[in-house]
Amino acid sequence: MNKKRDMMISETGTQREKEIKIIGFLCNWCSYGGADTAGVCRFKQPTDLRIIRIPCTGRMDPLFVVKSLIYGADGVLVSGCHPKDCHYAVGNLYARRRMELLKRFLPFIGIDTNRFRYTWVSASEGQLWQQVVTEFSEEIHRLGPNAGLNEKMDAETALSLFNTK
Amino acid sequence: MPMDEKTKTLQEDFEKNFADLELVIGWETGFDRLHATPVFIRQPSELGKLVWNPLCSQNLSGYLAKNLDASIQEDGKKIGICVKGCDSRSLVALIQENFIDRDRLYIVGIPCEGTVDLRRLMHLKPSLENVRKVDIEGDEAVVETDQETLRFPIENVLARKCLRCLYPNPVIYDTMIGTPLKPRISEDKLYSAVEKFDTSDRKQRLAFWKTEFNRCIRCYACRNACPLCVCQDNCIAESRKPKWLTQRDGIREKFLFHMIHGLHLAGRCTECGE
Amino acid sequence: MRIGVFICKCGTNIANTVDTEAVARKALEYPDVVYATDYMYTCSEPGQEEIREAIIKNRLQGVVVAACTPHMHEPTFRRAVEKAGLNRYMFEQANIREHVSWVNKDRESNTIKAMDLVHMAVEKLRLNQPLFSSKVPINKRVLVIGGGIAGIQAAMDCSDGGLDVVMVERETTIGGKMAKLDKTFPTIDCSSCILGPKMVDISQKENISLHAYSEIESVSGYIGNFEVKIRKKATYVDWNACTGCGECTQKCPSKKTYDKFNEGLGSTTAINIPFPQAIPKRARINAESCLYLTKGKCKKCEKVCPADAIRFDMEDEIITEDVGAIVVATGYDMFDYSVYGEYGGGRYPDVITSLQYERILSASGPYGGHIVRPSDGKEPRNIVFLSCVGSRDASVGRPYCSGVCCMYIAKQAIITRDHLPDCNCYVSYMDIRSPGKNYDEFIRRAQEEYGINYIRGRVGKIYPKDDRLIVQGVDTLMGVQMDIEADLVVLATGLEASEGARELAEKLRISYDQYGWYMESHPKLRPVETNTAGVYLAGVCQGPKDIPASVAQGSAAAAKVQILFSRDTIETDPQVALVNERVCISCGKCIEVCPFGAIQWKTLRDGSQKAEVLPTVCQGCGLCNATCPPKAVQLQHCTDDQILAEVNAVCE
Repeated sequence: MNKKRDMMISETGTQREKEIKIIGFLCNWCSYGGADTAGVCRFKQPTDLRIIRIPCTGRMDPLFVVKSLIYGADGVLVSGCHPKDCHYAVGNLYARRRMELLKRFLPFIGIDTNRFRYTWVSASEGQLWQQVVTEFSEEIHRLGPNAGLNEKMDAETALSLFNTK
Repeated sequence: MPMDEKTKTLQEDFEKNFADLELVIGWETGFDRLHATPVFIRQPSELGKLVWNPLCSQNLSGYLAKNLDASIQEDGKKIGICVKGCDSRSLVALIQENFIDRDRLYIVGIPCEGTVDLRRLMHLKPSLENVRKVDIEGDEAVVETDQETLRFPIENVLARKCLRCLYPNPVIYDTMIGTPLKPRISEDKLYSAVEKFDTSDRKQRLAFWKTEFNRCIRCYACRNACPLCVCQDNCIAESRKPKWLTQRDGIREKFLFHMIHGLHLAGRCTECGE
Repeated sequence: MRIGVFICKCGTNIANTVDTEAVARKALEYPDVVYATDYMYTCSEPGQEEIREAIIKNRLQGVVVAACTPHMHEPTFRRAVEKAGLNRYMFEQANIREHVSWVNKDRESNTIKAMDLVHMAVEKLRLNQPLFSSKVPINKRVLVIGGGIAGIQAAMDCSDGGLDVVMVERETTIGGKMAKLDKTFPTIDCSSCILGPKMVDISQKENISLHAYSEIESVSGYIGNFEVKIRKKATYVDWNACTGCGECTQKCPSKKTYDKFNEGLGSTTAINIPFPQAIPKRARINAESCLYLTKGKCKKCEKVCPADAIRFDMEDEIITEDVGAIVVATGYDMFDYSVYGEYGGGRYPDVITSLQYERILSASGPYGGHIVRPSDGKEPRNIVFLSCVGSRDASVGRPYCSGVCCMYIAKQAIITRDHLPDCNCYVSYMDIRSPGKNYDEFIRRAQEEYGINYIRGRVGKIYPKDDRLIVQGVDTLMGVQMDIEADLVVLATGLEASEGARELAEKLRISYDQYGWYMESHPKLRPVETNTAGVYLAGVCQGPKDIPASVAQGSAAAAKVQILFSRDTIETDPQVALVNERVCISCGKCIEVCPFGAIQWKTLRDGSQKAEVLPTVCQGCGLCNATCPPKAVQLQHCTDDQILAEVNAVCE
């Protein structure tokens, strides 16, 4: 990542703040289409999002989100068809349970739950997609870069916790 | 009912029913009387090995889902298994998930006053030798050796999970040995430690888990002991295809492994504390 | 793997806000990439030609095109790589137009983003495997479940197209609810006159085999090759011998049998042919009321039967039919009017359902088509029709509109006024819903030409007074209380899923909503398909609708079957789930979650059971993949490793 950024700086000669990277897991049928619609309508969005196309949010193992956040993605956005509109009938209902579980689990292990969001956007809702991406990107920019779990132990914080226990 | 009597009743009950059983899973005395270890009995003559005492901490229900496929052969015969309250809840989960057929089981449930955490005991009394018997009498754990009789308050020697046990009595059984017990803790206090942890701020929580997980050597013993970690050798923590985790030693890998364990047990964990 | 990367400028669509040249240069740094270039219009014929040439010249094994959305040109590029000898699945498309160049004008950020997307596509492609579709032969027979108008239409259309049809009907005769109707709206043409010939056609077509008085026992297999077990219920009459002469029904002494065809108006005999136009016209003995079968004495029918067709020792028989597609047309039942205790349905004989009133109006009905009250046989002077009894009422669990009541009330009131010009008809309604062709005009005729009194408001209570009924409610337009002395009250009972609909759905592995209506695959774009490939829906079983819509859906389902059967084999999409048996821990969770019933148990030689995906049934949603704890099930072309590779490409 650093190498890439260096290259950009050398080519353009301008300084840039650290690029925020958000991973989006989008179901093929609704939200990916919604993102396409937003593009066709030229709805302006921040550039931080990197979209991974999956057939259905039912394909989403919450561990993909955990993995992304632990390994340093700054935000993770999961988006699928509105409940009851799933192309595969029930996939997003399973997804909703799993994502909700994850949303409640993340704070317990000390990961900022605001870095993860799941939402439902249909293929026609380009405007809603623009809104979702813009809001979420702003939120992540406010939180700043996610160090993930770097190898160094934050000894002071750990000690302070032990002392209070 | 005193402990010895329970052991006797346990042995007698299995003797009476052994004709219908191909296997009995219980506990026996380990290399000394301070240790109990799982035992698999296929001959009625060996039933005398069975014991019940506060050292029988292992949750035996896990064996049913994991390593038994070879033995499940004989038609119509059942598997006898001993369960404490906590173990019986794991068993229910395994039955619900169709890992084992309830009809194939003969379950002997034993109300449990708690199991002794040997590490805590050794901490208080580092050199315990020639132990004859360990029992719990009211609020005290009693350790008899050839030389002396020692008494410890249970708060100091019981496994911590047992001190906050809400289910001392088996929830599923064919026969119950002894009489049901009252839990030592009320439901509203059950998660006080977790609630306290929840009040700490996010960074402290992360630091806590990082410290804890940093000690992890990824030996996978936690996974092997867990009765509901049914994947065992096929666990995705070890799988190369898909490759969720590398062999690299680092906090991220350790953290992710424990997240895998946690999320795979979400909604399934029976809090057996194993 | 040798990978080629093609960055499309899309004219200026992409090139204006993305430095495509820099992206192409950067792509050469990614692993396995041996060739990268940008091009004006990659999707154009010369653009595709350039891909083909580059594949051959550089011995490429995989191709990434960064261009528009794959929803647009993925098929185009797959064909292009296929023409150059690569497998069509050795291709990935990065979307740098809809997701990059069109949504932001910051050239630098866009370029970095495009680089990342290309990187992700490359990392995914490195793990792609060539995939091949397989071909499965189709058994070109179709099963139609339900012999109402929707099923008849579907069966006839399939039969006319030359297909073999198996029809299963639960009752002893086909015809369904339509056979019970007197007339149909908005044309007032005689129901049995238009249905009758179709029923006769069903019985006479050589390529239709009809199993009446039969039910589906089980369904196995999948699209193209279903095996259906059918329970032929015991009729105690040998239908091969029975001629339908009706001699037995004249002599049967058990005359108090519930008359299901006439909705319980009047009674019938234990051995019975429901109505004269029944198809097949065969007698059946009702085992619950037959004197011989209940008390062991009688056998009158056996004595009089000129064909020696009576078989008191008959038992249910299970037969097997192999078919390639299934049309479900199981129709509906009427809402139970006794749920509304305040209306007295079931307690007062002159409070009847709309379907009972159809039987009263019908010339072949229990009263020969004379409009009289069930209680005393007198002609009514005042009739009140109540709409929405069991429709649009969440308090009885029926929040939906039944869709037909407004229209049939108008029809019944018009016919009543035709028969009895002096009889006053009142209609108590909530709203009038008449959106069909010529429907609203029909309602207007009822109001204006036939002088039927429409009163907006719900009825609160019905109670008897002398030999009449007082209908008490409110007229919300006038703001006054309404009390009508009625001789007969007709409750426009709503529609509900037919009895056993849920059980049948489980057998067919199709889904149903909370009311038991079968779920179509897509509410707008796939209205007759289900989520189980090869199973189609027709008629009210999918949701309340009227006869024209049911017929249209029957034809639509038949068309879908014809489309399926127009080929000899089904080509399967290879992007399906696949089980690694060595890793499968036999937990069965994938089988539980699969919305399509595409995963089943397979017994290995050592006796252990493992999950197995039926590639023809699998739709490739990947739910099983996400559910499988050891990840033994992997969705081809979207494996865990591939998603992880994309994640790593972003995170590294």
